[in-house]
Amino acid sequence: MNRDKQRGLFPGALELMILRTLIRRPLHGYALVQQIKSASDDMLQIEEGSLYPALQRLLKDGFVSSEWGVSSTNRRVRTYRLTPAGRKHLVQESSRFELMLAAITRVMAGSTP
Amino acid sequence: VTWLRGLFGRRRRDAELAEEMEAHLEEKIDALMEGGLSRADATAAAHRQFGNVLLLRERSREVWQWPSLESFLMDLRYAARQLLRRPGLSAVLLLTLGVGIGANATIYSWTRAILLDPLPGAGEPERVVAVESVTPSGEWVPVSYPDFRDLSERSKRLQSMTVAYSMGLAVGEEPAIRVPGELVSGEYFDVLRVQPELGRFFSEAERDHAQNRHAVVVISHALWADRFQSDPAAIGRTLRINRCPFTVIGVTPAAFHGSMPGLELRLWVPATMFSQLNSAGTWMLEDRKTRMFRVLGRLAPAARIPQARAELQSIASALAEAYPDTSKGMSANVLPVWQAHNGLHDSLREPLGMLSGVALVVLLIVCANMASLLLARATDRRRELSLRHALGAARPRLVRQLLTEAAFLAVAGAALGLLVAISLSGTLRFLVPMTTMTLVTPRADWGVLAFTVALAVAVTLLAGIAPALAGAREDANDSLKEGGRSGSASAGRQRLRATLVAAEMALALTAIVAAGLFLKSFRQLARVEPGFDPEKVALGQFSMAASGFDAAQADAFCRRLRERLEEQPSVVAVSYADYVPLSIGAGSWEDLQVEGYLPGPSENMKIYRSIVAPGYFELMKIPLLAGRDFDLNDDSAHAPAMIVNQEFVRRFFGGQYAIGRKVHGWGRWFQVVGVVRDSKVYRLGDRPKAYFYIPLRQVYRPEFALTFYVRTSGSTDEAVASLRRLAGESRAAPPLFNTRTLSESIGASLFRDRTAAMLLSLLAAIAFLLAAIGLYGVMAYSVAQRTGEIGIRVALGARPGDVVRLVLRQAARVLAAGLAAGLLGGALLGRGVAAMLFSVRPDDPSVYAAAAGCAALIALAATIVPAARALRVDPIRALRCE
Repeated sequence: MNRDKQRGLFPGALELMILRTLIRRPLHGYALVQQIKSASDDMLQIEEGSLYPALQRLLKDGFVSSEWGVSSTNRRVRTYRLTPAGRKHLVQESSRFELMLAAITRVMAGSTP
Repeated sequence: VTWLRGLFGRRRRDAELAEEMEAHLEEKIDALMEGGLSRADATAAAHRQFGNVLLLRERSREVWQWPSLESFLMDLRYAARQLLRRPGLSAVLLLTLGVGIGANATIYSWTRAILLDPLPGAGEPERVVAVESVTPSGEWVPVSYPDFRDLSERSKRLQSMTVAYSMGLAVGEEPAIRVPGELVSGEYFDVLRVQPELGRFFSEAERDHAQNRHAVVVISHALWADRFQSDPAAIGRTLRINRCPFTVIGVTPAAFHGSMPGLELRLWVPATMFSQLNSAGTWMLEDRKTRMFRVLGRLAPAARIPQARAELQSIASALAEAYPDTSKGMSANVLPVWQAHNGLHDSLREPLGMLSGVALVVLLIVCANMASLLLARATDRRRELSLRHALGAARPRLVRQLLTEAAFLAVAGAALGLLVAISLSGTLRFLVPMTTMTLVTPRADWGVLAFTVALAVAVTLLAGIAPALAGAREDANDSLKEGGRSGSASAGRQRLRATLVAAEMALALTAIVAAGLFLKSFRQLARVEPGFDPEKVALGQFSMAASGFDAAQADAFCRRLRERLEEQPSVVAVSYADYVPLSIGAGSWEDLQVEGYLPGPSENMKIYRSIVAPGYFELMKIPLLAGRDFDLNDDSAHAPAMIVNQEFVRRFFGGQYAIGRKVHGWGRWFQVVGVVRDSKVYRLGDRPKAYFYIPLRQVYRPEFALTFYVRTSGSTDEAVASLRRLAGESRAAPPLFNTRTLSESIGASLFRDRTAAMLLSLLAAIAFLLAAIGLYGVMAYSVAQRTGEIGIRVALGARPGDVVRLVLRQAARVLAAGLAAGLLGGALLGRGVAAMLFSVRPDDPSVYAAAAGCAALIALAATIVPAARALRVDPIRALRCE
């Protein structure tokens, strides 16, 4: 409820973006946020920290796995990797998402004069 | 397992998350500083963009939380909100639940203290059994000491056995205090499996059967605290008991209070000290006919009661053959302790069972009330429920939520009930007149708590499951299609509600019938004439044995005291006897032979008797019908004399002239010198029984209790005071205890019946009230639901009478079914308790008529009021509120 409001996104959107971003390569939290931000041309105003509850949810559902390592800036970081289940989930959700988006777009287009 | 791992992984996960977020922030700060910001600015910006770290960590944690717990809390919050929406109704429901559960828990705490946990402090108490002798006519009697020795030596199924003889003992120097204690065998503490809190229990050497050798005493924790201020040096100290010095050897744990269920005993001495403590002859432990000991045994490993019973019966019949003079036809029995025939638990067993039953009925009515209320609420909420179902709430989830509401009420009610039980469980002592022994105070302990929790669960399921299922079964289509019309509920639900009302009616009626039967029985009993005049008679009991008197000294003391009392201006008459009629506990009996009377093969010739001083009958105003009273010449120098009652004459002399007839007892022949009118001896409800009296100076022994009777023209308090004062004049006066009036003493004999009648009436009144509330609630609700319909009817020209008839007709069928079921239930119950009733038939029509009348009246009132309210409804408004 209020967590979605803060995120300014519909439920599940952030998770979907994370999965999509991880499809290319494993990333740690900070890098993941930078990727999402730059990919959206900084249009999405998300709190960087809200990434972490979303990552925990994905971990719990088994869509990503994680391991501790050392980053390029020589910090101990946790790197997240997409699991096969996560990949499958991404495919399913993406098609649903696209359908919904198409519907919304159509409605919105209709209502504009 | 997952949640278990979750529980342990939680701390690690949280630490990792904190570290991860910290690293993120640092990396961000570094990046921002590279962009030219100062460290302070970069830190602030990083935090701003990151968000609230603590909140985010909290939210990450939540991801792993146990989902059902969370949703349960949600259900709970929701349930509380639902209940608060109608605070009045919820309060009534909660209160009735509190009363219902409280009554059950209170009665359970009593039952537990007296029947279910009769030997607290004992180890494996369920393996302890009571052993009793059985007369040829099947009556229970205690066991003689020689019989006990033979039984315990030969029995294999009982690994150890002990005698127990409870009596009041005078402890300490003048003034001695009276302490209830037990005379027991050395094996007593083995049988009960108790370990000393301090010191030791009886040693091997102290376990022989040699009399008056081992003057040692074990004291209770309470006596240790009272008498020795819990000083460990009490061990080895000397305690005077009935004037004889005893050495304190051990202290029992605080939880232990002896082998008499419900009674608190405080000291234990070897039974072999019997004759010294009672100034009695040592023959009493050697005589096979002196049956006065309770016997307890511990079942051998793997042995069961039926096997032990069979074994003891065969030993007893071997003894009966070996000692035909004393034991012909005698047998033995083995029982669980709570079923034993001696003591408080014996007289409370039936009333407690009865009370538990009626308390359960009350609780069932409460459940029915709750169920019908929850059902009504589920009906009100059916749109909400079906909408939620349509939106994806699983049915089990809805059932759970509705059950949570019931559970919420039940738990709150149970908490209230527990408070009731805690404050009321001690009140048992007001119901039991304990004159010579101390009653154990029942406590609301863990057992009671567990019982209450079980009740709460039962209530939740009983009252909650039907409405919850009905609510969740709601078909979304149906109720949404009705377009919010609050019209009549579904047929199934109406049937359920009708069943509840009928059940409630039936239960209340059953309770009223039970209470009615007992009330009537009690009234009949209280009206019975005891056959003597109890008014203005003061009683005081002396313990002759405690002062070490022999029979002659006791006689001298009594005669002197009697003379002194008779000098008092207000004293009308004085006498004394070893028994007080209608006091708790049967008196003593003697095996009689009657000259010229041939007893039947299994006829019980053990006849109860009193040992009385001259003037007893005149004082009691028991008319002497023939012959003479005893006088001072009836002593050991003269021929043994006996006075018998009318029933004795009828039974043994065929109603013929009795004076001069011979009766054999105590090893000699007595001559009947008088006949007195029958009077009540043991219980007011008894039919006349053969009874006889013998003169004190011929038979009395100091081990018998002795009670002074003083009839006064002044106040009985004054008479008690002068009894105490004048007794004190004499040197070495025996301790006086248990002073009371004869009327009080008789009241005590009614206690069982009074307690049953009083408490049952109270519970029945509660049941009645609760059923009335429930009935009213249901009727009011169903009329309210039909407000629209009634509005239409009135608008179309229905007259008030028509509407009332409509409402009544609906109620009548349900109520008739309830009445019929209730009368049937009452009849079944009446048959079950017939044995407890006095001169009331279990199918007494007046009781049933009155009960049905009460129930019908309440039903009518509960129906008329809502009907009248429905009539006042403005048709326009009624239709508009649709």
